[in-house]
Amino acid sequence: MVKRSKLEIIKDILEIIKENNAGIRPTPLLRKSNLSSKRYNEYFKDLIEKGFVREIRGKRGERMISLTERGFKFLDKYQVIVGFIDEFEL
Amino acid sequence: MPKQITGRAVGEVGRGLGQLMNQGLQIEIIYAFVIIICSLMIYFGTRELYKLSGHKGIKYFRLGFLFFAFAYFFRSFIKVVLLYFNKEEIRAIAPFLFGSVTLFVFIYFSVMAIFYLLYSVIWKKLDKKLDKIWIFHLIALIISFILVSSGNPIVGYLLLNILLFGCIIFMVYKAYHQSKKKGFNLYVIYGLLVIFWILNILDILVPSFVQGFQLLIYMASIVVFLMIVYKVIKKTGSN
Repeated sequence: MVKRSKLEIIKDILEIIKENNAGIRPTPLLRKSNLSSKRYNEYFKDLIEKGFVREIRGKRGERMISLTERGFKFLDKYQVIVGFIDEFEL
Repeated sequence: MPKQITGRAVGEVGRGLGQLMNQGLQIEIIYAFVIIICSLMIYFGTRELYKLSGHKGIKYFRLGFLFFAFAYFFRSFIKVVLLYFNKEEIRAIAPFLFGSVTLFVFIYFSVMAIFYLLYSVIWKKLDKKLDKIWIFHLIALIISFILVSSGNPIVGYLLLNILLFGCIIFMVYKAYHQSKKKGFNLYVIYGLLVIFWILNILDILVPSFVQGFQLLIYMASIVVFLMIVYKVIKKTGSN
């Protein structure tokens, strides 16, 4: 199995959240992201710091995670970023 | 009568020299302007990609071109000041400012520009826990200090360039063979960039060395930069 790059993991997590428009709870997100809980927490902290995701409250007051505008922008530009890194072998 | 002819002839020669000087200045200013604009286009054109990804390779790539812009600014600043004013007059007005300080800044930025570009390609192969870019800053500062403080910076810089050039060609050659992409590869462009950059530095330190080919070197340097700008615009969608 090919090891995913950091950018690829971020894209995968954001896509999982995007598929759930109203937001996703942390446990299914952890399961679907295919990461250990330790690595998931590291990535989640990073995503919050970068402003790609935010924590919201669901209808029953439960903790949910949703994409911010910046998160959507990252997904929009992901192919451009990867193409650029590949072109200049960065 | 002969005196009048001689006087007129001297006047015409003076005007001709003045025109030549003006032409030289114009070419110098246009050349520096084009290169600085190209470098800044690359730097600002990749800002969004870096802000979104935080990718280290993109960061060093951008900084390489920002340092190129600074280096070319100081390079043209030195040349324009030397061309416009008399060399001896400048030395008399502010010997330290127009001599050591400007040369130090110019050498530091020019060496770091090349180091940043190299680092953008090799950083993945280095130990990820240690950001070693400070070593390159230290080397660039030491090089600048030694060359400026030594009596004859030209010989020292030529020797250093030969060494640097050898290392870079070796690294470019190795990277080219390891690269998946072949043909007119990025490493070929980087190789050309380094060659013309060294010729640009020679143009500052030993103007007589490249006198006949100056315009050719300028045009080739612009072509190399435009090729990189084109690649960047193509990949970033000219944002």
